[in-house]
Amino acid sequence: MRDTLLQIKGLEVQFETRRGVARAVNKVDLDLFAGERFGLVGESGSGKSTMILALLRMIKPPGRIVGGSALMQGDDLTQLDNEQVRQTRLARIAMVPQGAMNSLNPVMRIKDQLILTMREHGEQGDNAQLEARVLELMEMVGLKPHAAGLYPHELSGGMKQRVCIAQAISLQPQLILADEPTSALDVVVQRQIMQTLRDLQQRLDATVLLVGHDMGLMAQFAERIGIMYGGQLVEVGPVEQIFHEPKHPYTRLLISSIPSFATKGSFKGIPGVALSLLDPPSGCLFHPRCPQATQRCSITSPTLQEVAPGQDATCLLYEEEEHAPTA
Amino acid sequence: MNGLAQKLYYFRESPMLSVGLGMLLFLLLFSALGRLFIDADMAQPLSAMPRQAPSLEYPFGTDDSGRNLLAVMVVGVPLTLQVGFIAGGVGLGVGTLLGFLSGYLGGKLDVAVRGVVDTLLTVPGLVVLISIASTIREEISISIMALVVASLAWMWPTRTIRSQVLTMRERAYVQMAKLNGMNTMEIIWKELFPNLLPYLAANFAGAVSAAVLATIGLEALGLGPQNEPTVGMTLYWAITFSSLIRGMWWWWAIPILFIILLFVGLILIAAGLDELANPKQRKAV
Repeated sequence: MRDTLLQIKGLEVQFETRRGVARAVNKVDLDLFAGERFGLVGESGSGKSTMILALLRMIKPPGRIVGGSALMQGDDLTQLDNEQVRQTRLARIAMVPQGAMNSLNPVMRIKDQLILTMREHGEQGDNAQLEARVLELMEMVGLKPHAAGLYPHELSGGMKQRVCIAQAISLQPQLILADEPTSALDVVVQRQIMQTLRDLQQRLDATVLLVGHDMGLMAQFAERIGIMYGGQLVEVGPVEQIFHEPKHPYTRLLISSIPSFATKGSFKGIPGVALSLLDPPSGCLFHPRCPQATQRCSITSPTLQEVAPGQDATCLLYEEEEHAPTA
Repeated sequence: MNGLAQKLYYFRESPMLSVGLGMLLFLLLFSALGRLFIDADMAQPLSAMPRQAPSLEYPFGTDDSGRNLLAVMVVGVPLTLQVGFIAGGVGLGVGTLLGFLSGYLGGKLDVAVRGVVDTLLTVPGLVVLISIASTIREEISISIMALVVASLAWMWPTRTIRSQVLTMRERAYVQMAKLNGMNTMEIIWKELFPNLLPYLAANFAGAVSAAVLATIGLEALGLGPQNEPTVGMTLYWAITFSSLIRGMWWWWAIPILFIILLFVGLILIAAGLDELANPKQRKAV
């Protein structure tokens, strides 16, 4: 059993809009272990990006964190003051952005950007020392040293993504959040980048929380997977178990809609449309689209429960009638 | 292409910039070289025979009070430019500071800055300048003149820079800088400011020419530095002593010629820099 690095408990993020309150992250419980690769999947609007932004305290009004905690090495991330938040970012929790294309300042050389953020976090040493660090980082992410002296527009998309990874690991954070880091790249570069991220994760013994909706990428990269639907974590477990024995009906439909060489025929999607966060259904959020829904599902909200060793699901199919909490 | 070659390339690509800079350089050379040959005291009254048409002795003629107009131009052109540069610089500086803070921080500060700027922009500038200049009792010096003009030269820069900052604020690299734990001031000055430098340079040339215009306007009304032979004050004396109907054409034509040179030069520089700062204005390469 590995140590727990981050313990998220009952995390709730709400957006107060003119048309009502949207619960973008709805009481999520999740433990991340030190040194693991965790994949968080879900369709658009399921709250996965909002959740990692909440960990970095980047939720802007009208959104706010209304409840829950996220304990990381004794600090509750939801309670830090502004200066502590600033110091935590990058040094302890780093982010690899989605659009590496635009995530670098167009008028600064790569090395100057990396040195600037290192200095911001109180890194000592003269420019020559920090430059040596940058060159080391370049090598770690598989870039040639001369790339450090270039401007972002002189780099390709994959190279820019590598620079973003270099920046993310520059202060050796314990937690790296990667929000669809390869969605703008072609599959060959995707694979190389994920390989780099994986090597670095092992080398630094950091925890990586990868967010995305590419199940194939997740299967290759993650050790454990969490599935979000409507702001809730509906299932979490080791990657093999999730793929071979999904427990939650949503996960089952998700897995069965992945194209494969073995099965031929037309693709099956998941019937219905994603729920509206402003007007969520009663009971289980998934029941209007669930093929196994019963009467009870529209009344009772399920909670996350262990359904197999190391595998939890939020579904009434696995809850005893008498334990079931009422909505 | 490297440094110098690239800069030369810009000049070739943008004839407006080269011609504008050439005109300004000519004016500066004119006064710098003029200083070597002409005594600055000749620009003061009673230093020459009054009312002389241009001749070999007085190439630009002399005015009613016996100023040598060649000396007046040699001394006056840099003074006028000085007022323009100080006022334009102060105006743009204040505008940059307010624009960045109000655009990036937003909130109450933004509402306050925007309210003041929008209100002041509706007031006709010359009216305000005239009332400010006419309430100054003591002798107006060149720097006071510049500050008077600067007092109304900061609103447009504030507004345009604020809107530029608003579009930059939401860009991914600014978000990343935040996520990387940079503090607000560092983001403003180290991430945003360098991105806006070309825009500021183009704005500076515009601000200087607007300031020169305001200066000459005030001076022509007699609200300038009475004891300094600036180009605008020369116009004022020419108007006051009816040079037009007395047929002393050199008295008003020569300052006007210099004003035209100055303005066209500044406007061409502003347009040329704008072309460099704003690729949409650039011709296809």
